[in-house]
Amino acid sequence: MIRIELFGVPRLRAECDVVDVDAETLGGALRELERACPALSPGVVADGRLSQAYLVALNGRQFTSDPETALRDGDVLVLVSAQAGG
Amino acid sequence: MMLGYFGRYLRVDLVHGATPVAIAEETLRSLIGGVGLGTALLMRETRARFDPLGPDACVVFAFSPFVGTSITTSAKLAVVSKSPLTGRLNDALSSSDFAIAGKRSGHDAIVLRGRAEEPSVVLIDGERVRIERCADLWGTGESVSSVDATLSKRYPGYHFAVIGVAGENLVRYAGICNGGRHAGRGGLGAVLGAMRIKAVGVRGKQPVTVADPKRLVDIARDLARRSLGPATEKYRELGTIANLAAFNRLAALPTKNFQESTFEGAEALSGETLTRTRALGKSSCRTCTIGCEHFFAAPGGKRVKLEYESLFALGPLCGIDDPDVTLAAALRCDELGLDTISAGGTIAFAMECNERGLLSHPDLRFGNGQALLAMLDDIAHGKSELGRLLQQGSRAAAERIGPPAPDFAPHVKGLEIPGYEPRALQTMALGFAVGSRGADHNKSGAYEVDFSERVDRFAPSLEAVAMAVDTENRAALIDSLILCKFLRGVFDDLYVEAAEALNAITGVPFDAAELRAVAERIVLMKKLFNLREGWTRDEDRLPRRFTSEALEQGVARGAIVDETRLDALIEAYYEARGWRRDGTVPEQTIAQSGL
Repeated sequence: MIRIELFGVPRLRAECDVVDVDAETLGGALRELERACPALSPGVVADGRLSQAYLVALNGRQFTSDPETALRDGDVLVLVSAQAGG
Repeated sequence: MMLGYFGRYLRVDLVHGATPVAIAEETLRSLIGGVGLGTALLMRETRARFDPLGPDACVVFAFSPFVGTSITTSAKLAVVSKSPLTGRLNDALSSSDFAIAGKRSGHDAIVLRGRAEEPSVVLIDGERVRIERCADLWGTGESVSSVDATLSKRYPGYHFAVIGVAGENLVRYAGICNGGRHAGRGGLGAVLGAMRIKAVGVRGKQPVTVADPKRLVDIARDLARRSLGPATEKYRELGTIANLAAFNRLAALPTKNFQESTFEGAEALSGETLTRTRALGKSSCRTCTIGCEHFFAAPGGKRVKLEYESLFALGPLCGIDDPDVTLAAALRCDELGLDTISAGGTIAFAMECNERGLLSHPDLRFGNGQALLAMLDDIAHGKSELGRLLQQGSRAAAERIGPPAPDFAPHVKGLEIPGYEPRALQTMALGFAVGSRGADHNKSGAYEVDFSERVDRFAPSLEAVAMAVDTENRAALIDSLILCKFLRGVFDDLYVEAAEALNAITGVPFDAAELRAVAERIVLMKKLFNLREGWTRDEDRLPRRFTSEALEQGVARGAIVDETRLDALIEAYYEARGWRRDGTVPEQTIAQSGL
């Protein structure tokens, strides 16, 4: 199982903090996210890809957007805005 | 003369009177406006190593060719001076009506210098300048917004930049407020306070003439349309406070004076929670289509505009998890005219000193909200010995307290570090170290590099340097055009699009290559100002905490800034800028820049 944690606008749109999906790649996980939370499509995620305005940090550390990124059971995807300005 | 400019600035000498001074077209073309022009005028109007709170001090309010046009977010000004907090260049940006009215006074900049005999208000109406005494507004403890309202009633048609109690009392991180916006960092309010200037009022009717109005309308419309797209969604929907919960998860949220980078009380303070429970509405600066200002309900039925930097500094950094306290503290800083980042940073530092037994205060501990609120007033008014010590900022306070306090005073060059944990965002650590203003998230956007897949944010390679340089150059140009940085993700190519807009405004054929050179020139000029004022290589470093104490929580567990790596990044940064290994600047680099 892959856990996707939502922050910011995606959390407000989806009306939840966490979505659990079964997937073997980042692209697969994002497609499952889109299916589970239609409110995130297409602004946040579309066809297994993130909008340029968003990023995913694998297990909270390394940012990645490559849909082929392999995931392991128990991985966590932290979905945040790509705009970190404050 | 290029259109979009007036080709002159107004020098207001508080002793000898006001004089319009011509600005060469070459100067305007090579520096554009805003921070670029403001820094050049500051260098011209001052002698080396002047006291920023002394009689030779000078403050520049610089406008730009974009001000007064229909381009979204263009109602901005730069306020430039020497910081009494850092002793180095201080360039802050602010927005809205003051910028438009100041430009329409018929000047590209207004320079204040000297010292008034008594507390006064400067009134600029076109070329007419009055300096009116205002003893009834000085030392009263009235809030900045209340003084602004009084002045607006007394002098109809003017827009004011006002200092608060903190500026009157020369708090070295007092800001200047105009219409609810702040030129917050570095103590500009103290510089005006030392001049005995409570406020500057501007009004004018000079039209801003542009070369190709039809083309400019097309450009402005297109940019406004794109400003409502995904790149600004965060700012529109939640505002900058959206950072807090995400940074906490990424272990990049400075907590308890940078002892930790995650905060157990983050959820209560998160932008998502505050928006659900306390949102009162949103607003925008004049001419802005984004609308990033979000208002929240504070205790006593008050309404507070909240930004991430205020939220982190007056929340997690001080160990506060009570939104009532943080909102009240943010409001109090605005009323007193205090920079929220430096106020929170300095108080958090004092809390740690107190907990370590380096200070003796009965209540000043992490998590004590009432102590935080009381200390803000103490600092602004200079009520107690500790309050007066903390008026000087964390660097000066640490030097007075003695070892080991300087190791954990949270500053670079004296400027308190904003809400980006350097051990978890190590390209930003470089940006902080080399920043001309000190630890600064507005002049270097190196955190954007950390928030990407291009680097390992815990151990960036030398390839990160060029990316950090690029963010600094872009910021220098944006601050000189002037536009809001929240637009930066909207541009396909900032330099190309800025050149097109400048062409339409000025009638002069700018191009992208020229603007890249302008950006580098402005960064260099800020460096040259700092060198003139005594910069040394030792200033380009982080406090010892970041290189000697590893983070212990969350995904950043074990993260520490490797001093050898940081030094290598700094040297590569100097090389990329054409500077020597010791950070000084060869004559050849200056000559090539056209300065």
